[in-house]
Amino acid sequence: MDPREFEAFLFHEARLLDDRRFRDWMELFTEDGSYWIPAVPEQESPFDQASLFYDDRELMKTRIARLQHPRIHVQTPPSRTAHLIANIVIESPPLAGACRALRDICLERGDAGASLADREAVEGEPPEYLVSSTVIMVEYRNDKQRIFAGRQQHRLRREGGSFKIVRKRVDLINCDSAFEAIAVPI
Amino acid sequence: MLDRSSSSIAALIQPGRVHRRVYTDPDIFELEMERIFGRAWLFAGHSSQLAKPGDYITTELARQPVIMIRHSDGAIHVLFNRCAHRGAKIAPLRSGHAPRLTCCYHGWTYDSDGTLLNVPVPEGCARSFDTRDFALTPVPRVGIYRGFVFASLAKTGLSFEDHIGPMKANIDDLVDRAPDGELALDAGRHRYVFEGNWKLQVENVLDSYHVPFSHASTVNEKGEQFARREGDRHGAAVVDADKSRTAAPWKQRRSYITGNGHGWTSNTQLDDAKRSSPAFDEYRRVLAEKLGAERAQQILTPRLHNSLIYPNASIMGLNIHVRVINPVAVDRTEVTVFPVRLVGAPPAMNFGNIRLLNVTHSAASFVQTDDLESFVRVQNGLRSQAADWVDISRGLGEEEPDRELNATRELATHEMVVRAQYRAWLDYMQQAA
Ligand code: FES
Ligand SMILES: [Fe+2]
Repeated sequence: MDPREFEAFLFHEARLLDDRRFRDWMELFTEDGSYWIPAVPEQESPFDQASLFYDDRELMKTRIARLQHPRIHVQTPPSRTAHLIANIVIESPPLAGACRALRDICLERGDAGASLADREAVEGEPPEYLVSSTVIMVEYRNDKQRIFAGRQQHRLRREGGSFKIVRKRVDLINCDSAFEAIAVPI
Repeated sequence: MLDRSSSSIAALIQPGRVHRRVYTDPDIFELEMERIFGRAWLFAGHSSQLAKPGDYITTELARQPVIMIRHSDGAIHVLFNRCAHRGAKIAPLRSGHAPRLTCCYHGWTYDSDGTLLNVPVPEGCARSFDTRDFALTPVPRVGIYRGFVFASLAKTGLSFEDHIGPMKANIDDLVDRAPDGELALDAGRHRYVFEGNWKLQVENVLDSYHVPFSHASTVNEKGEQFARREGDRHGAAVVDADKSRTAAPWKQRRSYITGNGHGWTSNTQLDDAKRSSPAFDEYRRVLAEKLGAERAQQILTPRLHNSLIYPNASIMGLNIHVRVINPVAVDRTEVTVFPVRLVGAPPAMNFGNIRLLNVTHSAASFVQTDDLESFVRVQNGLRSQAADWVDISRGLGEEEPDRELNATRELATHEMVVRAQYRAWLDYMQQAA
């Protein structure tokens, strides 16, 4: 496992977002993938608490159709963004295999990467990795510039020569503040 | 400077139009804080936010910091969040647990009903000092209906019953959906802020006119919005399939007013007979088991879209939530949206509601964000001095009584509700102290 592989993948993802290639970005996710931005620090679950984002592929599709709609007022003019991804850490040793149930447990718990290695691998499943990094996104729109910053965690599944995102979680340092409208994913 | 006389305030509101200054003038905003938010019954919180004695939340009423806390005897107190000594804010967090409230500055300690219990170095106190004179100041009036806690910063004025009474049925409509007959506002909150006047948000919650246009980006090829309720396949049809006109059923929606600035909009018929999902079906079963099939059916037949409890709260019946509007400055408003948990409903049903509220009313939602854009653009547009008046005349003169509901109604794409809000606005604003 070459750490640069993960770095290249995260940089690619950031680039798709900055280039507003939202459909291509969505295609980075597995069919059952999810994208989560909690609304409080250390939020344990998206199931019983409000979140800024908690999109499965279906909601992602609706979100992105809207982002490409000619009459999305909150993106007229559109946002321009610059992502910076740094401090990449591979949180868990590679798993020989991981099953869906295991992932769901992690999701419910708000995740504990280290404990994953202890769990029994499922024969024949592709390996999954938990990678965390610091993200800074600067957004400019309508003469205003603002900064989003936090720690993000990707659960990545090996697929062919690259990865798919099983889950992306972004913990913004100001996740519980009052935000002006946020239209683009972070 | 603003002329605070009744006649000059009255001149700002005319039949079918209001002067742009009501949105842009900082002096008018100050007067609103004094005469509207300083007097009206404001939604302060919900009893479920204080599960046990000592639990508290903090908020602002008319920009003033308050604390809502449950005392050891179970009673809910709403107190100004201000130390009686030299004024420090007592409770620094948005929510917490503190059976005793100790000030960070000199350590004065209060009981959860505001009584001053302890003063460090008491021998230094003035001879006449009596702890009974130094309790945390209570907000003058508090009223509670089915867990909804309202507070008024004025000692006198419209009674709680007279103000909230006409809206009780709207609160019931939401609370009754919980199989155990109670709500819990314990599923976190969404917070958003915009650079615009508070009335832009208040007017918008009952505005059915804007939906096909403002929210065009949420509508699919068939002119339908995305599904906003657990168990629905799609949302309401808001525009015709060729997308050139507002859809006929949308135009049938009604809005209602009952005085005091309150109002609500009726629900658009969705495919209620076909509403189904494992979570919803289970919820329907639980509801019928507790209340009988007939009553369950009644509860599940939607009547209300959104209700406004003037001036600072709304309750939504479609994708259920309670929303609180907090004015910060003439051109800045903060809004908090609480998902409601239906106590006794299956967790999957509550999750469905939470999940859909994320995409309708969070700061990152598909719906609310386009409204925020409109609010900011109105605030900007009104800087223009080209015209003084803002038009709210749609349906003027077409209001009709609804005797059954004891209300006045009109088509929801009209602007009766906004005119009613300005009648209440004038009532408050014209009354000097
Ligand atoms: S200001 Fe609170 S104890 Fe002095
Ligand atoms: Fe809207």
